Parts: sequence; structure tokens; C-alpha cells
Amino acid sequence: MSTRKLTALALFTTISLAVYAIECAIPPLVPIPGIKPGLANIITLILLKRYSSKEAALVLTARILLSALLFGQAVSLFYSVCGGLVSLLIMILFNRLLKKHCLFLTGSLGGLFHNLAQLLAAMLITSSMAVLAYLPHLVIAGILTGLFTGFCAMYAAKFLPKDLHA
Amino acid sequence: MDNTTKKIAAVVGAILFLLVCISSLFILLPRKAGTSYTAELYLQGTLVDSIDLNAVTEIQTIELSADGHTNVVEIRPGSIGIISADCPDQICVHQGFISDSALPITCLPHGVIIRVRPTEEGELILTY
Repeated sequence: MSTRKLTALALFTTISLAVYAIECAIPPLVPIPGIKPGLANIITLILLKRYSSKEAALVLTARILLSALLFGQAVSLFYSVCGGLVSLLIMILFNRLLKKHCLFLTGSLGGLFHNLAQLLAAMLITSSMAVLAYLPHLVIAGILTGLFTGFCAMYAAKFLPKDLHA
Repeated sequence: MDNTTKKIAAVVGAILFLLVCISSLFILLPRKAGTSYTAELYLQGTLVDSIDLNAVTEIQTIELSADGHTNVVEIRPGSIGIISADCPDQICVHQGFISDSALPITCLPHGVIIRVRPTEEGELILTY
């Protein structure tokens, strides 16, 4: 990895961490656990579009570990890892299928599967089916917030310099 | 953007749209209503308490503690809610008081779930 690329990825990690910190400061919009804007996903999507799966995975892993270290606790790390990795795999798959087009669809799928994975994690942790009552809310929230972050990433990616691929 | 990509995009978009529609239906559909409701308190998957909300006459509080975490539950006539918790996100407190089976109250960091269900018909007959 060239120094140039390393620096760029470090910068992206910092940005996503800052976005995550801002999002944590926003009070929950609805009183349902698991619903949040997922703004840090904008960075993952930009990386998927402008770099490749490998760089997106690197930055996401670094962001999850660092955010757990800075703001989180053990349980939230488990939820983040489940949601983050499953949504990343789905986004990598569909980003390939869609040939980096329609980033808003990739974002929606990422949001959807992020929420589904976290719901599954919640079922494991509480060992109860009761949390399934949130499923319809989480499906809608995941798709809509993913659509929003997808559009953000699509437009933001246009303003990045063309010669990022160093 | 070639034709195959366009087709995949259209299918993915349609599936996502359908999912939103189906989920909205689930949220909007009327739920089974009962004349009396029972609250069930779960701690890490095990039922720790079951309270007939219609039988409650005075406000009372219960402390749910496990692994050094505490959630304070308040029971009012006909409704139940968490009034304080030592978790970082406080989502369970923000969920307020519930009186029907629409949504359970959950504290994910502590594994606490409170849900309200219509009291079973069978149980009612037994009390006569």
C-alpha cells in the first residue's frame, strides 16, 4: 500500500469516526432501539464506489473498533460488528452486481441488512422472540436511512478529486 | 450502464419498495384488542414477573438488576414503563409507558424486555 493511499484511508477513517461521533450526539429520533441515521455508512459507500471492497472493509473495521474504544461498551461492539459486517458483505455483493451504479440501492440494502443482523443479534442476546415486534419498523427504517446515505454518498463522491486511486 | 445492470437495479428497487409496503401494512394493521392486559417482564430471556395491569391500583416500582445493571420499572394502573436505567443510550426510558401489545419496551444493553399482552381468555374463565 502506497503512503498516499494509506494517508487517504486514514483520512477517511477519521472522517467516518467524526461523523459517527456527531451521530451519537443526536438524540434518538424514535423510541425504538436500533433506528438511527447510519451516517457513517456514507464513507463506506464512497469507498466502495471510488476504491474497492478491500479498502471499504479496512476503514469500516477500523471505525468500528475505534468507535467502541472511544464511545462504546462491550455490548454495543457486538451489535456494531454484527450489523457492520453483514451489511458490508451485502453491499460488496450488490456493488459488484450493479457495477458501482445506483449507489442508493446498495445503500438501502446495506441499511436493511444492518438492521436485520442487529435484530438477530438482539434475539440472541435477549434470547427472546419479543424483539421481532420491531421487525417492520426496522425494515422500513433501514431501507429509508440507507436510501438517504446512498444519495449522500453518490453526490459526495462526485466532488472528490479524480486521481484518488494512487 | 448496460442492460443487465439496469435489470438488476430495477428488481432490487422493486423488492425494496415491496418490503416497505408489506412492513407498513404490518404496522398499520389493527391488533388483537383485549379487555384486560398482562405485563410480562423478561430478564435475559427468562420471565421474571407477570403483572395483571388491570389489578394495579397504586403506582409501584420494581428494580430489575443483573450483572451490576439496574432498570427501574414503574407500574401504574393500566400501563407500565421504565423510569430510569443506568444504560448509556436511555432508549428504554424514552420509550415511555405502554398499555397495549403494539410494541414491547426493550433495554438491549441489559437484555430487559417488557411486553404487554391481552390476558388470555382461559385465564379469565379460571378466575370466575
